[in-house]
Amino acid sequence: MGKLDGKVACITGGTRSIGRAMAEAFVSEGAKVVVNGRNEEKGQKCLEEMGAGDAVSFFAGDSSKQSVVEGLIDFTVSTFGQLDICCLNSGGVQMTAPVAQMSDEEWALEVDWNLNHVFWGMRKALQHMIPRESGRVLVTSSVEGKLGKPGLPGYAATKHAVNGLVKAAAHEVGTLGITVNSILPGLIETDIVRETGPDSAVAMGLGTYETLIEVFSSESAIKRPNKVEEVAAVALLLASDAGRNITGSTFPVDGGTMPY
Amino acid sequence: MGELDGRVACVTGGTRGIGRAIAEALLREGASVVINGRSEEKGTVALEEMDAGEKAHFISADVKSREGCEAIVSGTVEKYGKIDILVANAGGASNHAPVAELTDEAMEDSLVWNFWHTFWTMRSALGHMIPQGWGRIIAVSSVEGKVGKPGLAIYVSAKHAINGLVKSSAHEVGTLGITVNAVCPGLIETDIVKEVLPLAAESMGLESYEAALDLFAQESAIKRLNEVEDVAEVCLLLTSEAGAGITGSLISIDGGTAPY
Repeated sequence: MGKLDGKVACITGGTRSIGRAMAEAFVSEGAKVVVNGRNEEKGQKCLEEMGAGDAVSFFAGDSSKQSVVEGLIDFTVSTFGQLDICCLNSGGVQMTAPVAQMSDEEWALEVDWNLNHVFWGMRKALQHMIPRESGRVLVTSSVEGKLGKPGLPGYAATKHAVNGLVKAAAHEVGTLGITVNSILPGLIETDIVRETGPDSAVAMGLGTYETLIEVFSSESAIKRPNKVEEVAAVALLLASDAGRNITGSTFPVDGGTMPY
Repeated sequence: MGELDGRVACVTGGTRGIGRAIAEALLREGASVVINGRSEEKGTVALEEMDAGEKAHFISADVKSREGCEAIVSGTVEKYGKIDILVANAGGASNHAPVAELTDEAMEDSLVWNFWHTFWTMRSALGHMIPQGWGRIIAVSSVEGKVGKPGLAIYVSAKHAINGLVKSSAHEVGTLGITVNAVCPGLIETDIVKEVLPLAAESMGLESYEAALDLFAQESAIKRLNEVEDVAEVCLLLTSEAGAGITGSLISIDGGTAPY
Protein backbone atom coordinates (compact mmCIF):
# COMPACT_ATOMS: atom_id res chain seq x y z
CA MET A 1 0.00 0.00 0.00
CA GLY A 2 1.59 3.23 -1.16
CA LYS A 3 0.57 6.70 -0.07
CA LEU A 4 -0.11 7.64 -3.70
CA ASP A 5 -1.65 4.45 -5.08
CA GLY A 6 -3.84 5.30 -8.06
CA LYS A 7 -2.56 8.86 -8.31
CA VAL A 8 -1.09 10.47 -11.42
CA ALA A 9 1.56 13.17 -11.30
CA CYS A 10 3.42 15.32 -13.78
CA ILE A 11 6.66 17.14 -13.04
CA THR A 12 8.31 19.88 -15.09
CA GLY A 13 12.07 19.52 -15.06
CA GLY A 14 11.67 16.01 -13.76
CA THR A 15 14.55 14.13 -15.34
CA ARG A 16 17.24 15.29 -12.93
CA SER A 17 17.86 16.72 -9.46
CA ILE A 18 14.88 18.01 -7.44
CA GLY A 19 12.20 16.99 -9.93
CA ARG A 20 13.76 13.57 -10.34
CA ALA A 21 13.83 13.06 -6.56
CA MET A 22 10.15 13.95 -6.46
CA ALA A 23 9.42 11.52 -9.29
CA GLU A 24 11.22 8.71 -7.47
CA ALA A 25 9.45 9.47 -4.19
CA PHE A 26 6.05 9.49 -5.92
CA VAL A 27 6.68 6.28 -7.86
CA SER A 28 7.89 4.49 -4.74
CA GLU A 29 4.53 5.36 -3.16
CA GLY A 30 2.54 3.95 -6.05
CA ALA A 31 1.94 6.94 -8.32
CA LYS A 32 2.24 7.05 -12.07
CA VAL A 33 4.43 9.94 -13.17
CA VAL A 34 5.19 11.90 -16.31
CA VAL A 35 8.55 13.63 -16.17
CA ASN A 36 9.38 16.50 -18.48
CA GLY A 37 12.67 17.86 -19.72
CA ARG A 38 14.14 19.61 -22.73
CA ASN A 39 16.48 16.85 -23.76
CA GLU A 40 15.11 13.63 -25.26
CA GLU A 41 18.32 11.76 -24.47
CA LYS A 42 18.29 12.73 -20.80
CA GLY A 43 14.65 11.78 -20.68
CA GLN A 44 15.32 8.27 -21.95
CA LYS A 45 18.26 7.93 -19.57
CA CYS A 46 16.02 9.01 -16.69
CA LEU A 47 13.43 6.37 -17.59
CA GLU A 48 16.13 3.70 -17.75
CA GLU A 49 17.67 4.73 -14.45
CA MET A 50 14.34 4.84 -12.67
CA GLY A 51 13.48 1.37 -13.95
CA ALA A 52 9.82 1.81 -13.11
CA GLY A 53 8.43 0.44 -16.36
CA ASP A 54 5.02 1.71 -17.39
CA ALA A 55 4.66 3.76 -14.23
CA VAL A 56 6.85 6.52 -15.65
CA SER A 57 6.65 8.33 -18.95
CA PHE A 58 8.69 11.15 -20.47
CA PHE A 59 7.42 14.27 -22.23
CA ALA A 60 10.07 16.26 -24.08
CA GLY A 61 9.99 20.02 -24.28
CA ASP A 62 11.13 23.35 -22.90
CA SER A 63 8.91 24.22 -19.94
CA SER A 64 9.40 27.94 -20.50
CA LYS A 65 7.07 27.54 -23.51
CA GLN A 66 3.32 27.68 -22.99
CA SER A 67 2.65 24.97 -25.57
CA VAL A 68 5.02 22.62 -23.78
CA VAL A 69 3.61 23.16 -20.28
CA GLU A 70 0.04 22.78 -21.49
CA GLY A 71 1.10 19.89 -23.70
CA LEU A 72 2.61 18.11 -20.71
CA ILE A 73 -0.67 18.26 -18.86
CA ASP A 74 -2.68 17.06 -21.86
CA PHE A 75 -0.15 14.26 -22.39
CA THR A 76 -0.39 13.22 -18.75
CA VAL A 77 -4.17 13.03 -18.89
CA SER A 78 -4.16 11.16 -22.19
CA THR A 79 -1.45 8.73 -21.04
CA PHE A 80 -2.66 7.96 -17.54
CA GLY A 81 -6.29 9.11 -17.68
CA GLN A 82 -6.20 11.86 -15.08
CA LEU A 83 -4.04 14.40 -13.26
CA ASP A 84 -3.87 14.42 -9.48
CA ILE A 85 -0.54 16.05 -8.71
CA CYS A 86 1.04 18.82 -10.77
CA CYS A 87 4.61 19.75 -9.83
CA LEU A 88 5.77 22.94 -11.47
CA ASN A 89 9.37 22.47 -10.63
CA SER A 90 11.68 23.59 -13.38
CA GLY A 91 13.32 26.99 -13.27
CA GLY A 92 16.53 28.90 -12.97
CA VAL A 93 18.57 31.58 -14.66
CA GLN A 94 20.83 31.63 -17.71
CA MET A 95 23.02 34.76 -17.69
CA THR A 96 21.78 36.69 -14.69
CA ALA A 97 23.03 40.21 -13.99
CA PRO A 98 22.43 43.11 -11.61
CA VAL A 99 19.32 45.13 -12.56
CA ALA A 100 21.35 47.92 -14.16
CA GLN A 101 22.95 45.45 -16.55
CA MET A 102 20.05 43.00 -16.98
CA SER A 103 19.22 42.28 -20.62
CA ASP A 104 15.63 42.19 -21.86
CA GLU A 105 16.27 38.71 -23.20
CA GLU A 106 17.42 37.29 -19.87
CA TRP A 107 14.58 39.02 -18.05
CA ALA A 108 12.01 37.58 -20.45
CA LEU A 109 13.55 34.13 -20.19
CA GLU A 110 13.43 34.14 -16.39
CA VAL A 111 9.85 35.43 -16.32
CA ASP A 112 8.74 32.76 -18.79
CA TRP A 113 10.68 29.99 -17.13
CA ASN A 114 10.03 30.71 -13.47
CA LEU A 115 6.71 32.56 -13.42
CA ASN A 116 4.71 32.13 -16.62
CA HIS A 117 5.46 28.41 -16.75
CA VAL A 118 3.96 28.09 -13.28
CA PHE A 119 0.89 30.11 -14.24
CA TRP A 120 0.30 28.20 -17.48
CA GLY A 121 0.73 24.87 -15.74
CA MET A 122 -1.37 25.77 -12.73
CA ARG A 123 -4.25 27.14 -14.82
CA LYS A 124 -4.39 24.07 -17.01
CA ALA A 125 -3.99 21.69 -14.07
CA LEU A 126 -6.77 23.38 -12.12
CA GLN A 127 -9.09 23.04 -15.12
CA HIS A 128 -8.68 19.27 -14.76
CA MET A 129 -8.76 19.25 -10.97
CA ILE A 130 -11.72 21.53 -10.25
CA PRO A 131 -14.38 19.29 -11.87
CA ARG A 132 -12.97 16.28 -10.00
CA GLU A 133 -12.76 18.25 -6.73
CA SER A 134 -9.38 16.75 -6.01
CA GLY A 135 -5.81 17.73 -6.67
CA ARG A 136 -2.43 18.95 -5.54
CA VAL A 137 -0.42 21.72 -7.14
CA LEU A 138 3.18 22.00 -5.95
CA VAL A 139 5.43 24.82 -7.04
CA THR A 140 9.16 24.66 -6.49
CA SER A 141 9.92 28.19 -5.39
CA SER A 142 13.12 29.09 -3.55
CA VAL A 143 14.57 30.71 -0.50
CA GLU A 144 14.91 33.63 -2.93
CA GLY A 145 11.11 33.72 -2.96
CA LYS A 146 11.34 35.43 0.41
CA LEU A 147 14.76 37.05 0.22
CA GLY A 148 16.70 38.88 -2.44
CA LYS A 149 20.34 38.60 -3.37
CA PRO A 150 22.29 41.11 -5.45
CA GLY A 151 22.81 39.84 -8.96
CA LEU A 152 19.71 37.61 -8.93
CA PRO A 153 16.94 40.17 -9.48
CA GLY A 154 14.92 38.17 -11.99
CA TYR A 155 15.12 35.00 -9.95
CA ALA A 156 14.14 36.74 -6.72
CA ALA A 157 11.31 38.62 -8.43
CA THR A 158 9.82 35.58 -10.16
CA LYS A 159 10.15 33.34 -7.11
CA HIS A 160 8.41 35.99 -4.99
CA ALA A 161 5.74 36.18 -7.66
CA VAL A 162 4.97 32.46 -7.68
CA ASN A 163 4.50 32.56 -3.91
CA GLY A 164 1.81 35.21 -4.40
CA LEU A 165 0.21 33.16 -7.14
CA VAL A 166 0.15 30.11 -4.88
CA LYS A 167 -1.52 31.98 -2.03
CA ALA A 168 -4.24 33.47 -4.21
CA ALA A 169 -4.97 30.19 -5.99
CA ALA A 170 -5.04 28.28 -2.70
CA HIS A 171 -7.90 30.47 -1.50
CA GLU A 172 -9.76 30.09 -4.79
CA VAL A 173 -9.89 26.30 -4.64
CA GLY A 174 -9.59 25.70 -0.89
CA THR A 175 -13.00 24.11 -0.50
CA LEU A 176 -12.70 21.96 -3.61
CA GLY A 177 -10.33 19.33 -2.25
CA ILE A 178 -7.40 20.97 -4.02
CA THR A 179 -4.32 22.31 -2.29
CA VAL A 180 -1.78 24.68 -3.79
CA ASN A 181 1.57 25.09 -2.07
CA SER A 182 5.07 26.22 -2.80
CA ILE A 183 8.23 24.65 -1.46
CA LEU A 184 11.16 26.95 -0.78
CA PRO A 185 14.47 25.11 -0.89
CA GLY A 186 17.74 26.67 0.05
CA LEU A 187 20.54 26.30 -2.46
CA ILE A 188 20.93 22.75 -3.71
CA GLU A 189 23.80 21.65 -5.91
CA THR A 190 21.60 20.46 -8.73
CA ASP A 191 22.76 19.97 -12.31
CA ILE A 192 21.25 23.29 -13.32
CA VAL A 193 23.04 25.09 -10.48
CA ARG A 194 26.32 23.48 -11.48
CA GLU A 195 25.74 24.60 -15.07
CA THR A 196 24.74 28.19 -14.44
CA GLY A 197 26.27 28.77 -10.98
CA PRO A 198 29.68 29.97 -12.24
CA ASP A 199 28.09 32.76 -14.33
CA SER A 200 25.69 33.63 -11.51
CA ALA A 201 28.59 33.87 -9.08
CA VAL A 202 30.23 36.47 -11.29
CA ALA A 203 26.99 38.47 -11.62
CA MET A 204 26.60 38.37 -7.85
CA GLY A 205 30.09 39.71 -7.35
CA LEU A 206 31.20 36.49 -5.68
CA GLY A 207 33.80 35.44 -8.20
CA THR A 208 33.67 31.68 -8.08
CA TYR A 209 31.08 28.92 -7.92
CA GLU A 210 32.64 27.67 -4.68
CA THR A 211 32.16 31.07 -3.06
CA LEU A 212 28.54 31.08 -4.19
CA ILE A 213 27.94 27.73 -2.49
CA GLU A 214 29.71 28.95 0.61
CA VAL A 215 27.71 32.20 0.84
CA PHE A 216 24.38 30.38 0.66
CA SER A 217 25.56 27.74 3.15
CA SER A 218 26.85 30.31 5.60
CA GLU A 219 23.45 32.04 5.74
CA SER A 220 21.77 28.85 6.91
CA ALA A 221 21.83 27.38 10.38
CA ILE A 222 23.09 24.04 9.06
CA LYS A 223 25.98 25.65 7.13
CA ARG A 224 25.53 23.37 4.15
CA PRO A 225 23.42 23.33 1.00
CA ASN A 226 20.15 21.40 1.09
CA LYS A 227 19.56 18.05 -0.60
CA VAL A 228 17.06 16.99 -3.22
CA GLU A 229 15.75 14.22 -0.94
CA GLU A 230 14.78 16.83 1.65
CA VAL A 231 12.58 18.59 -0.91
CA ALA A 232 11.13 15.32 -2.18
CA ALA A 233 10.06 14.32 1.34
CA VAL A 234 8.11 17.56 1.71
CA ALA A 235 6.61 17.15 -1.76
CA LEU A 236 5.45 13.65 -0.83
CA LEU A 237 3.81 14.90 2.36
CA LEU A 238 2.00 17.69 0.52
CA ALA A 239 0.97 15.37 -2.33
CA SER A 240 -0.40 12.66 -0.05
CA ASP A 241 -3.66 12.52 1.85
CA ALA A 242 -1.74 13.63 4.95
CA GLY A 243 -1.30 17.03 3.30
CA ARG A 244 -4.99 17.64 2.65
CA ASN A 245 -5.25 20.48 5.17
CA ILE A 246 -2.04 22.29 4.27
CA THR A 247 -2.53 24.85 1.54
CA GLY A 248 -1.34 28.30 0.54
CA SER A 249 1.86 27.63 2.42
CA THR A 250 5.39 28.56 1.49
CA PHE A 251 7.04 25.49 2.92
CA PRO A 252 10.67 26.06 3.91
CA VAL A 253 13.41 23.50 3.21
CA ASP A 254 16.31 25.85 3.73
CA GLY A 255 18.23 24.81 6.83
CA GLY A 256 17.07 27.89 8.70
CA THR A 257 17.98 30.59 6.18
CA MET A 258 14.76 32.54 5.82
CA PRO A 259 13.70 34.83 8.64
CA TYR A 260 10.00 34.05 8.21
CA MET B 1 11.35 -1.12 9.54
CA GLY B 2 10.23 2.24 10.82
CA GLU B 3 11.84 5.56 10.04
CA LEU B 4 12.37 6.12 13.78
CA ASP B 5 13.54 2.68 14.91
CA GLY B 6 15.78 3.09 17.95
CA ARG B 7 14.79 6.71 18.54
CA VAL B 8 13.45 7.99 21.86
CA ALA B 9 10.85 10.73 21.92
CA CYS B 10 9.12 12.76 24.57
CA VAL B 11 5.84 14.61 24.04
CA THR B 12 4.55 17.07 26.63
CA GLY B 13 0.79 17.13 26.90
CA GLY B 14 0.76 13.81 25.13
CA THR B 15 -2.25 12.03 26.57
CA ARG B 16 -4.85 13.70 24.38
CA GLY B 17 -5.36 15.88 21.35
CA ILE B 18 -2.46 16.91 19.14
CA GLY B 19 0.21 15.46 21.43
CA ARG B 20 -1.48 12.09 21.49
CA ALA B 21 -1.67 11.99 17.68
CA ILE B 22 2.01 12.89 17.47
CA ALA B 23 2.90 10.21 20.03
CA GLU B 24 0.99 7.57 18.08
CA ALA B 25 2.65 8.58 14.81
CA LEU B 26 6.11 8.40 16.39
CA LEU B 27 5.30 4.97 17.84
CA ARG B 28 4.10 3.77 14.46
CA GLU B 29 7.51 4.64 12.99
CA GLY B 30 9.32 2.65 15.66
CA ALA B 31 10.26 5.22 18.31
CA SER B 32 9.91 4.69 22.05
CA VAL B 33 7.70 7.48 23.33
CA VAL B 34 7.20 9.18 26.67
CA ILE B 35 3.94 11.02 27.00
CA ASN B 36 3.35 13.56 29.71
CA GLY B 37 0.29 14.95 31.36
CA ARG B 38 -0.88 16.22 34.72
CA SER B 39 -3.39 13.52 35.51
CA GLU B 40 -2.08 10.09 36.43
CA GLU B 41 -5.49 8.68 35.58
CA LYS B 42 -5.58 10.13 32.04
CA GLY B 43 -2.03 8.90 31.56
CA THR B 44 -3.01 5.36 32.45
CA VAL B 45 -5.98 5.49 30.11
CA ALA B 46 -3.82 6.85 27.30
CA LEU B 47 -1.23 4.10 27.72
CA GLU B 48 -3.97 1.47 27.70
CA GLU B 49 -5.52 2.92 24.54
CA MET B 50 -2.18 3.26 22.78
CA ASP B 51 -1.39 -0.36 23.64
CA ALA B 52 2.31 -0.08 22.85
CA GLY B 53 3.62 -2.05 25.82
CA GLU B 54 7.16 -1.15 26.83
CA LYS B 55 7.49 1.27 23.93
CA ALA B 56 5.32 3.87 25.62
CA HIS B 57 5.67 5.38 29.07
CA PHE B 58 3.79 8.05 30.99
CA ILE B 59 5.35 10.73 33.18
CA SER B 60 3.02 12.71 35.36
CA ALA B 61 4.27 16.27 35.73
CA ASP B 62 3.00 19.82 35.49
CA VAL B 63 4.68 21.71 32.65
CA LYS B 64 3.92 24.96 34.46
CA SER B 65 6.97 24.43 36.67
CA ARG B 66 10.65 24.16 35.83
CA GLU B 67 10.94 21.11 38.06
CA GLY B 68 8.10 19.46 36.16
CA CYS B 69 9.64 20.20 32.77
CA GLU B 70 13.07 19.00 33.80
CA ALA B 71 11.58 15.87 35.35
CA ILE B 72 9.90 15.02 32.02
CA VAL B 73 13.18 15.20 30.12
CA SER B 74 15.30 13.48 32.77
CA GLY B 75 12.58 10.86 33.26
CA THR B 76 12.70 10.10 29.53
CA VAL B 77 16.45 9.59 29.66
CA GLU B 78 16.08 7.48 32.79
CA LYS B 79 13.47 5.26 31.18
CA TYR B 80 14.93 4.81 27.70
CA GLY B 81 18.57 5.85 28.08
CA LYS B 82 18.48 9.02 25.94
CA ILE B 83 16.27 11.61 24.28
CA ASP B 84 16.35 12.10 20.50
CA ILE B 85 13.08 13.90 19.90
CA LEU B 86 11.37 16.51 22.05
CA VAL B 87 7.89 17.69 21.16
CA ALA B 88 6.98 20.63 23.38
CA ASN B 89 3.31 20.38 22.75
CA ALA B 90 1.45 21.25 25.95
CA GLY B 91 -0.13 24.64 26.07
CA GLY B 92 -3.24 26.71 26.08
CA ALA B 93 -4.55 29.76 27.85
CA SER B 94 -7.31 30.57 30.26
CA ASN B 95 -8.60 33.86 31.66
CA HIS B 96 -8.50 35.60 28.31
CA ALA B 97 -9.37 39.28 28.20
CA PRO B 98 -8.64 42.29 26.01
CA VAL B 99 -5.28 43.83 26.90
CA ALA B 100 -6.80 46.82 28.69
CA GLU B 101 -8.47 44.46 31.13
CA LEU B 102 -5.82 41.74 31.36
CA THR B 103 -4.53 40.66 34.74
CA ASP B 104 -0.87 40.02 35.40
CA GLU B 105 -1.81 36.53 36.50
CA ALA B 106 -3.47 35.65 33.20
CA MET B 107 -0.47 36.83 31.17
CA GLU B 108 1.98 35.09 33.47
CA ASP B 109 0.04 31.83 33.42
CA SER B 110 -0.03 31.75 29.62
CA LEU B 111 3.66 32.58 29.31
CA VAL B 112 4.60 29.86 31.79
CA TRP B 113 2.30 27.27 30.25
CA ASN B 114 3.31 27.89 26.64
CA PHE B 115 6.61 29.74 26.48
CA TRP B 116 8.52 28.91 29.67
CA HIS B 117 7.54 25.26 29.35
CA THR B 118 8.98 25.21 25.83
CA PHE B 119 12.15 26.93 27.02
CA TRP B 120 12.59 24.68 30.06
CA THR B 121 12.11 21.43 28.15
CA MET B 122 14.19 22.66 25.19
CA ARG B 123 17.12 23.72 27.39
CA SER B 124 17.01 20.47 29.25
CA ALA B 125 16.75 18.35 26.08
CA LEU B 126 19.58 20.25 24.34
CA GLY B 127 21.79 19.30 27.28
CA HIS B 128 21.40 15.70 26.16
CA MET B 129 21.21 16.24 22.39
CA ILE B 130 24.32 18.39 21.96
CA PRO B 131 26.74 15.74 23.29
CA GLN B 132 25.10 12.98 21.23
CA GLY B 133 25.15 15.08 18.04
CA TRP B 134 21.58 14.26 16.97
CA GLY B 135 18.27 15.71 17.93
CA ARG B 136 14.91 16.97 16.79
CA ILE B 137 13.00 19.59 18.74
CA ILE B 138 9.50 20.54 17.69
CA ALA B 139 7.55 23.26 19.43
CA VAL B 140 3.82 23.12 18.84
CA SER B 141 3.11 26.76 18.22
CA SER B 142 -0.01 28.04 16.47
CA VAL B 143 -1.31 30.12 13.63
CA GLU B 144 -1.56 32.65 16.45
CA GLY B 145 2.24 32.58 16.57
CA LYS B 146 2.18 34.41 13.24
CA VAL B 147 -0.96 36.53 13.40
CA GLY B 148 -2.90 38.16 16.19
CA LYS B 149 -6.55 38.15 17.19
CA PRO B 150 -8.26 40.63 19.49
CA GLY B 151 -8.92 39.22 22.92
CA LEU B 152 -6.28 36.50 22.69
CA ALA B 153 -3.18 38.55 23.56
CA ILE B 154 -1.92 36.19 26.23
CA TYR B 155 -1.90 33.25 23.84
CA VAL B 156 -0.72 35.20 20.79
CA SER B 157 2.17 36.73 22.73
CA ALA B 158 3.31 33.39 24.12
CA LYS B 159 3.17 31.64 20.73
CA HIS B 160 5.05 34.47 18.99
CA ALA B 161 7.71 34.19 21.71
CA ILE B 162 8.04 30.46 21.09
CA ASN B 163 8.67 31.14 17.40
CA GLY B 164 11.51 33.52 18.28
CA LEU B 165 13.04 30.97 20.63
CA VAL B 166 12.90 28.36 17.89
CA LYS B 167 14.69 30.57 15.35
CA SER B 168 17.51 31.52 17.71
CA SER B 169 18.16 28.04 19.01
CA ALA B 170 18.05 26.55 15.50
CA HIS B 171 21.01 28.72 14.55
CA GLU B 172 22.87 27.80 17.74
CA VAL B 173 22.78 24.07 17.10
CA GLY B 174 22.43 23.98 13.30
CA THR B 175 25.76 22.28 12.68
CA LEU B 176 25.36 19.77 15.50
CA GLY B 177 22.84 17.45 13.87
CA ILE B 178 19.99 19.04 15.77
CA THR B 179 17.01 20.76 14.22
CA VAL B 180 14.58 23.05 16.01
CA ASN B 181 11.27 23.89 14.38
CA ALA B 182 7.82 25.18 15.23
CA VAL B 183 4.64 23.79 13.76
CA CYS B 184 1.84 26.34 13.55
CA PRO B 185 -1.54 24.61 13.34
CA GLY B 186 -4.79 26.35 12.66
CA LEU B 187 -7.55 25.80 15.17
CA ILE B 188 -8.20 22.13 15.95
CA GLU B 189 -11.12 21.08 18.08
CA THR B 190 -9.12 19.26 20.76
CA ASP B 191 -10.26 18.60 24.32
CA ILE B 192 -8.30 21.58 25.58
CA VAL B 193 -9.91 23.84 22.98
CA LYS B 194 -13.34 22.63 24.04
CA GLU B 195 -12.39 23.56 27.59
CA VAL B 196 -10.84 26.98 27.06
CA LEU B 197 -12.35 28.35 23.84
CA PRO B 198 -15.76 29.25 25.28
CA LEU B 199 -14.15 31.84 27.54
CA ALA B 200 -11.80 32.95 24.77
CA ALA B 201 -14.82 33.50 22.52
CA GLU B 202 -16.29 35.84 25.10
CA SER B 203 -13.00 37.76 25.32
CA MET B 204 -12.96 38.00 21.52
CA GLY B 205 -16.41 39.59 21.57
CA LEU B 206 -18.06 36.59 19.93
CA GLU B 207 -21.43 35.30 21.00
CA SER B 208 -20.58 31.62 21.30
CA TYR B 209 -18.02 28.83 21.10
CA GLU B 210 -19.47 27.88 17.73
CA ALA B 211 -18.96 31.43 16.45
CA ALA B 212 -15.29 31.19 17.41
CA LEU B 213 -14.88 27.88 15.57
CA ASP B 214 -16.57 29.39 12.55
CA LEU B 215 -14.40 32.51 12.62
CA PHE B 216 -11.22 30.43 12.52
CA ALA B 217 -12.58 28.18 9.77
CA GLN B 218 -13.69 31.11 7.63
CA GLU B 219 -10.24 32.70 7.71
CA SER B 220 -8.71 29.61 6.11
CA ALA B 221 -8.81 28.64 2.46
CA ILE B 222 -10.31 25.25 3.30
CA LYS B 223 -13.14 26.77 5.39
CA ARG B 224 -12.86 24.04 7.98
CA LEU B 225 -10.76 23.35 11.03
CA ASN B 226 -7.54 21.41 10.99
CA GLU B 227 -7.14 17.90 12.38
CA VAL B 228 -4.63 16.42 14.80
CA GLU B 229 -3.34 14.03 12.15
CA ASP B 230 -2.27 16.98 9.97
CA VAL B 231 0.18 18.02 12.68
CA ALA B 232 1.36 14.49 13.42
CA GLU B 233 2.32 13.90 9.78
CA VAL B 234 4.43 17.06 9.63
CA CYS B 235 6.13 16.03 12.88
CA LEU B 236 7.05 12.70 11.28
CA LEU B 237 8.62 14.54 8.36
CA LEU B 238 10.60 16.81 10.67
CA THR B 239 11.86 13.94 12.81
CA SER B 240 12.91 11.80 9.83
CA GLU B 241 16.36 11.83 8.21
CA ALA B 242 14.96 13.91 5.34
CA GLY B 243 14.02 16.50 7.95
CA ALA B 244 17.71 17.20 8.62
CA GLY B 245 17.65 20.09 6.16
CA ILE B 246 14.66 21.83 7.72
CA THR B 247 15.34 23.93 10.80
CA GLY B 248 14.38 27.27 12.29
CA SER B 249 11.15 27.10 10.35
CA LEU B 250 7.62 27.95 11.38
CA ILE B 251 5.57 25.48 9.42
CA SER B 252 2.00 26.48 8.72
CA ILE B 253 -0.56 23.69 9.06
CA ASP B 254 -3.53 25.97 8.89
CA GLY B 255 -5.43 25.41 5.65
CA GLY B 256 -4.05 28.62 4.22
CA THR B 257 -4.76 31.03 7.08
CA ALA B 258 -1.43 32.64 7.95
CA PRO B 259 -0.20 35.13 5.34
CA TYR B 260 3.42 33.96 5.56
